[in-house]
Amino acid sequence: MNDDKTTIIIKRKGQRPTESFDKAKLHQSIVSATLSARAPEGQADRVAHAVTNYVLEWLESRPEVTSHDIRLVATRHLRSHHPDAAYLYEQHRTTL
Amino acid sequence: MDIASSLAIVTLAALIHASFQLSVSVLTLLSGHAIGARTSQARVMRLTFGFVSGVGVMTLLALSFISLVFLHIFGKEAPQFVWAIVCGLLIGVGLAVWFFYYRREKGTSLWIPRSFARHLSDRSKATKSGAEAFSLGLTTVISELLFIAAPMIISALVLIQLPGYWQLIGIAIYSVISLLTLFSIWVLIGSGHKLSSIQKWREDNKHFLQFAAGGALTVLGFFVYVCKIVSDVSGTL
Repeated sequence: MNDDKTTIIIKRKGQRPTESFDKAKLHQSIVSATLSARAPEGQADRVAHAVTNYVLEWLESRPEVTSHDIRLVATRHLRSHHPDAAYLYEQHRTTL
Repeated sequence: MDIASSLAIVTLAALIHASFQLSVSVLTLLSGHAIGARTSQARVMRLTFGFVSGVGVMTLLALSFISLVFLHIFGKEAPQFVWAIVCGLLIGVGLAVWFFYYRREKGTSLWIPRSFARHLSDRSKATKSGAEAFSLGLTTVISELLFIAAPMIISALVLIQLPGYWQLIGIAIYSVISLLTLFSIWVLIGSGHKLSSIQKWREDNKHFLQFAAGGALTVLGFFVYVCKIVSDVSGTL
């Protein structure tokens, strides 16, 4: 599995500084979206774990990706676990 | 213009105000972040109530301020050309809402400056206390002024003609009606409705809301023009 430090994340089309992939940050954002969809804490944690592992696998062969790519991949996988949470996760940036 | 017609115009203007979506978007984000951060339901309700109160207070203050300025400048009756300009503004904003209110992308992004949107989004995430939520409500109304200025200005012009007692009632009617949407969302959140359902409904119906708000602004502009300018001119002929 991919080491957390190896993949570089390009944020907001390069308008913000790049940063290394942070597994905990992704996990937390999935937990928050799943809890926002009124899922129980245990389920939110399980779903976040599964989605984060899937994204880590996807990142294995990619040294550099955008934050938008990660959001798309995470949303696609989250949809199979919890469609409402996936909707909120996807909509987060386009609500305002 | 009699009191009933004046209050009817204020009511329609407030309904148009209520159909604008920025404060609803911020309330949705605020509650989403609070629920996602494992905040208790009672605390979520306090935060969201603080936000709704902030929006209400700023709406009340803004309408009172605009009315006071008009009262000082024009006295009890604004000149005809001011009515004509404001009617033009209503129709112009109505057309602008039809064409530009939502960005052409998925979701419910609005045509407000992106820096405003980012600030409101960041603040909704950082808000932890009722006082912060209240101030976020105040700020949201200011960010929405681009759209709500037109209904507020026409309401202020109508209100300054009324006797003092009715002015206060008119301001109260406007403030309460303009909060109806937010209050409904607050009740839905309190009763445990899913945010995803609320947001899906908003996204599915965004073009209808856009059409309704733009159409109502245009209709209000024409109505006031006919009521105030055409009838006055034809009355003097």
